[in-house]
Amino acid sequence: MSLGAYVAVSAALFAIGIVTIVTRRNILYVLMGIEMVLNAANINFVAFGRHYGGLPGGGGGLEGKMFAIFTIILAAAEAAVALAIVLNVFQAFNSVKPSEADQLRE
Amino acid sequence: MSNYLQSLPSIAPEIAMTVLLCAVLVVDLLLKGRDSRKVGYLTLGGLGVVAWLLLGQWGELGSAGAAKRVFGMIDIDRFSTFFKLFTVGSLAAVVLFVLLDRRERRHGIGEYYLLLLGAGLGIFFMVSTSNLLLLMLGLELLSLASYSLAGFHKGDKRSAEAAMKYVVFGGLSAGVMLYGISLLYGITGTIDLTEMASGPHSLAAQFSSGPVPVAVAIVLVLAGFAYKVSVVPFHFWTPDVYEGAPTPVTSFLAVASKAAGFAALLRFVGKLFLVDGADGAVQQYGARIGALLAILSALTMTLGNLAALRQSSMKRMLAYSSIAHAGYVLMGMATMESSGWNAAMFYLAAYYLMNLGAFGFVLYFESVTGSDDIASLKGLGAKALWVTVPMVVFLVSLTGLPPTVGFTGKYMLFVAGVDNGLLWLSLVMALNSVVSLFYYFRIVKALFLAEPAERSMPGQSALAGSIFVLAVLTVLFGLYIAPLQAWCDASVESLRLGAG
Repeated sequence: MSLGAYVAVSAALFAIGIVTIVTRRNILYVLMGIEMVLNAANINFVAFGRHYGGLPGGGGGLEGKMFAIFTIILAAAEAAVALAIVLNVFQAFNSVKPSEADQLRE
Repeated sequence: MSNYLQSLPSIAPEIAMTVLLCAVLVVDLLLKGRDSRKVGYLTLGGLGVVAWLLLGQWGELGSAGAAKRVFGMIDIDRFSTFFKLFTVGSLAAVVLFVLLDRRERRHGIGEYYLLLLGAGLGIFFMVSTSNLLLLMLGLELLSLASYSLAGFHKGDKRSAEAAMKYVVFGGLSAGVMLYGISLLYGITGTIDLTEMASGPHSLAAQFSSGPVPVAVAIVLVLAGFAYKVSVVPFHFWTPDVYEGAPTPVTSFLAVASKAAGFAALLRFVGKLFLVDGADGAVQQYGARIGALLAILSALTMTLGNLAALRQSSMKRMLAYSSIAHAGYVLMGMATMESSGWNAAMFYLAAYYLMNLGAFGFVLYFESVTGSDDIASLKGLGAKALWVTVPMVVFLVSLTGLPPTVGFTGKYMLFVAGVDNGLLWLSLVMALNSVVSLFYYFRIVKALFLAEPAERSMPGQSALAGSIFVLAVLTVLFGLYIAPLQAWCDASVESLRLGAG
């Protein structure tokens, strides 16, 4: 497949992720949207890594592939922290909807 | 291999931070959560060692050409050391705030220090790298620790809500920034900022062939930074998180975390667009980035100040004031000239001092009145002059009136703006300072111009002492500006020269 196809898939995933984050009222869906955005970036990194791997002076495309591995770890760490925080919110408010946690306002 | 071993002394401060972090973890486990104050004292001592190492490094970097890049990705230069020193200083102040917070538990809070040190280590890497992978890792280390810190008071609904809002906005902006970085990698074939500016597929070459993808990538990355330093339109999380988080954590987020974001932003823009002898395409794009920053700066300071006018909670008011201050710093950056960047660095240093002091004051009175409402301060001004008089100094400095460091910083920004064709922005800043006078002096009015109230004041002499020291520094650096100015000059100079 050509580079353009990968970039198109990744752009679509990015857009779906952003729309999910903006429209969903349940925080678990919002976190899923964030994961989609992170994985969109990952597809880009791997695809560009393969592209530059075939070019002279591209360093074998290793930078992109390394970045993708680190992004997977980042996404896992972020999900762990975020879910712990959501659990805490659920215990405090008995709900996982951001609109029902509204102690802080003007 | 020997090359790597020879490079190790250059990252001695980072190694010391890591060792300290592990020591704090082990000691906390050995104490089994009893008497966490001991962990706090250990943290303070360790931070002292890190500061000593950093001061040694600053001295070594004084000779020309001493700045270097180690491990191919960490820049050891005065710019990074400057921010690391201030980070250690503010971390020490925050640890002190935790130790002196009368409302905080005495036991089982060892993780507090662990998370603060983790965030500090993230800042260390974030401010000293031109490699976007390491930048991202440092940023996430800082962010993940900050999310947990914001929700540290587990039973507290406000703390839980603050952490949730922080993690959602933070995750979104990290994703957007990462996507921008992936595009930058696709465009240039490298994740190193220096190579991006000059490599075989340099940004300059790509500007001329296809400006749109480059613009999209850079705007996405800038959005990630804008969230970290709470610039309009990425500021929505700031008031809620600052209000809900425990006050020492708020002071950390407002001071160390925000300044680290600015440091990384300065390096990102500087490496790409402030290159000596850059060709026309880069300069043209740099000018456009400058114009974008100028507009964001005007919006940020105006919105921050106007929103601060109608707040009744001190923490919320200081949150909006910190948004406004981000606008002032951006103004220095927007000049895209060394003089403006010096002013921005100077203002950041001023910002450290006066905001730490102001949050110390909030902490002091929270444990007296149990709330951070401005109304609850009524008539308490004469009760604790050792704290209220320093607070007046901080407020004078935040407004930007002499003889304080805030005035000097604003004056430098104003001059830099006028000199570099941003007269309109300088005028906007001057008007904004007048607006800020109104809300800052509501605190003074509540303290001193109301009927004296009867209330017993618990003794908090250590906290009062640290606030007093910060106030003395605020005035001292305002009157005697040469050393701080020289440090800022040396830092920006090392950024321009670059390393390796």
